[in-house]
Amino acid sequence: MITLNAHNTNEKLDLASLSEEETALRIENLNLFYGQAQALHDISMAIPKGKVTAFIGPSGCGKSTLLRCINRMNDLVESCRVDGAISLHGKNIYDRDVDVAALRRRIGMVFQRPNPFPKSIYENVVYGLRLMGVNDRRTLDEVVERSLKGAALWNEVKDRLKESAFSLSGGQQQRLVIARAIAIEPEVLLLDEPTSALDPISTLTIEELITELKSQYTVVIVTHNMQQAARVSDQTAFLYMGKLIEYDDTNALFTTPAKKQTEDYITGRYG
Amino acid sequence: MKAWFKSGSPWIWMTAGTVSLALIAVLGLIALIAWRGLTFFWPSTIYEFPFNDVDRQILIGEIYEREQIPVTRLQDAGIDTSHITDEFVTRYLVKIGNREFVPLDFTWVLATDIARMETPRDLVMLERARNGNFYGYVEDVLEDGISVMTANADIRAVFRDRIRRAVNLRDEAMTLQRGPIARINYQLDQIRLERRRMELRGTFTEEADAALREEEEALREAYLEVEAELFEIRQRAQRDAVVMRDMRGEQVTLSMNMVLDATYANDMNVLQKWGYFFRQIKKFVTEDPRESNTEGGVFPAIFGTVFMVLLMSVIVTPFGVIAAIYLHEYAGKNAITRMIRIAVINLAGVPSIVYGVFGLGFFVYMVGGTLDQIFYPESLPNPTFGTPGVLWSALTLAILTLPVVIVSTEEGLSRIPSAVREGSLALGATKAETIWRIVVPMASPAIMTGLILAVARAAGEVAPLMLVGVVKSAPTLPVDGNFPFFHLDRKFMHLGFHIYDVGFQSPNVEAARPLVYATSFLLVTVIVGLNLTAIGVRNRLREKFRALEH
Repeated sequence: MITLNAHNTNEKLDLASLSEEETALRIENLNLFYGQAQALHDISMAIPKGKVTAFIGPSGCGKSTLLRCINRMNDLVESCRVDGAISLHGKNIYDRDVDVAALRRRIGMVFQRPNPFPKSIYENVVYGLRLMGVNDRRTLDEVVERSLKGAALWNEVKDRLKESAFSLSGGQQQRLVIARAIAIEPEVLLLDEPTSALDPISTLTIEELITELKSQYTVVIVTHNMQQAARVSDQTAFLYMGKLIEYDDTNALFTTPAKKQTEDYITGRYG
Repeated sequence: MKAWFKSGSPWIWMTAGTVSLALIAVLGLIALIAWRGLTFFWPSTIYEFPFNDVDRQILIGEIYEREQIPVTRLQDAGIDTSHITDEFVTRYLVKIGNREFVPLDFTWVLATDIARMETPRDLVMLERARNGNFYGYVEDVLEDGISVMTANADIRAVFRDRIRRAVNLRDEAMTLQRGPIARINYQLDQIRLERRRMELRGTFTEEADAALREEEEALREAYLEVEAELFEIRQRAQRDAVVMRDMRGEQVTLSMNMVLDATYANDMNVLQKWGYFFRQIKKFVTEDPRESNTEGGVFPAIFGTVFMVLLMSVIVTPFGVIAAIYLHEYAGKNAITRMIRIAVINLAGVPSIVYGVFGLGFFVYMVGGTLDQIFYPESLPNPTFGTPGVLWSALTLAILTLPVVIVSTEEGLSRIPSAVREGSLALGATKAETIWRIVVPMASPAIMTGLILAVARAAGEVAPLMLVGVVKSAPTLPVDGNFPFFHLDRKFMHLGFHIYDVGFQSPNVEAARPLVYATSFLLVTVIVGLNLTAIGVRNRLREKFRALEH
């Protein structure tokens, strides 16, 4: 039925009682409101460091909203209000004294549709660095090569770095966006349905890339595709109607779900 | 029939018909202006009209216009029409020139009175620096009052050489006046102002005065030298003269320094006529006007128009873009913002003359007057900026076109996909960084669209300019070789105003009419040129910032 990722079976983490060193992010009693409507209900979970965590659930369940809380992209929505806490290294990112721009440099994000800037491939990758004031040619060149290699794009574009990013295919653009995100070396990488706009072959490339990325980054991925979650993630969280229903090791969640709703969803009874 | 209505074809016919009408109107307008304007430069045949009545004086001139009039009208005017059998009669308007020898240089002639229309090859049209054209025959060429013609010399060739010499001398004199003489005058004026400035500040000392005096003395000497040179050139220019026989049969001596060109229009082949045509257009575009704008070219007006429009663009673009960014990106989405937006859009509907009045009251008198008191007290009571000038014109038109730029910039900003903004924010950019690095460059085609509309409107606007800086004739351009090179306080000439001035304020309406068409055509060409440039820039930007279309 569902093929499981081969390399997430080795060690099993106790998600309920992760130590501080093993935790990348800790979400505590998070509630989110759009105006009067509550979109997330009392979510608490710990996201382990150096692993791939997937959020699954039917459309409108709040999985993207939860992801966007982690780097405070929801701040852009005017009517949005959050309470509860998300801590990165024990520091609540919703504290008043947090510099949101600096936070977003530590928690990178890749969106559903590839969104390269109308600049050259090179300039796309170094955008974040230029923002930080890095303009040294050699440093930038090194970062471009490292990031594009990290995003498995280097071989395809190394001879046309000065061309417009729009000359790339959809899949290449998405990998460029990943390269752009990892160029500033974030600690956490958030992927919001990164393959939903792509063809199967590009999807496969990106999935392989995600498993590579977890050696250096904590990855959180939102997907509506359960096979994808099963293939790439170590932990999976199932959300339904804004509530965290079940959060467990991917293997366990897909083979022996503890909750009826989870079982119904993964066996395709709704969603 | 009913089925035809139901099929929707009438609708297609109606819409297509409306488009065709609009197209015909535009093309017709351009074609009319172009035709009337451009034929002005074509060498027209010079006729000699002997009349049926042998005692009547022969006429020489160009046919300017012909019209059919009913004979009854002639009878009403008390003209004897007994010899006319037709109901209508052709009437010619003939330009006979020779302004100083005849009471009117245009005259109406009835076709029925004319015995023959002759086009002798030796008839020549002289373009003159003063008193308009002269029509007649070249009889003799004089040097210091003595004929230079020998028995077998070609009079045309001799005449042409003498004209060339005279024109060259004229150009030399002009260069002296425009260059050294203008510069020395400017510097002398600066010294006068410097002295006044010191007096006002109380730093005026004997030594300073002595230094200024010395400088002044040096300039005066230089001036005398140049002036002597100028007089010498003028003297030489007066050496030659031409003896002409005009239509009265009298011999007239014209000094050569007034003759600019001689055209044997009846003795030209097609190629020569085309050559003449393009030479005339070039003259029109590059030369200064003469004779209170009714002769010569319109170069200062072209320069003034383009310079003022460019200056306006430089002012309005940053202003409009920054205002639009605030309105769209930062201002709260509430009633006040909406009200401001409506107010801005409505500004575009205010009649332009009102902007002119505002510009005169606010910019010229208030801002300019204050600037004068603070920075130019030495030249008071003569105003520097407290008088209409090109800067105030550009500012007034900038306010007039501001709404257009704001509206199209806002439109452009709202078309930037939020995905791109989020992409930038997610990389740790602040909102301001996102706006300046991503959003504004991507909105630049829309900004250019706004600028195109602004330029189109500003270049055609005349009414407000009459209050804030345009003049009939400006002695100097707003840009010249004297420091600081751009003189934004100067008044300037404008093609739109030039049309009005030539067409309605000129002492010689008939002579001015073709100029009105030619200038109109030129104005349209200038505006189209400015617009095409802006459109070209916009298309390149569009190509560069093609949004995510897949």
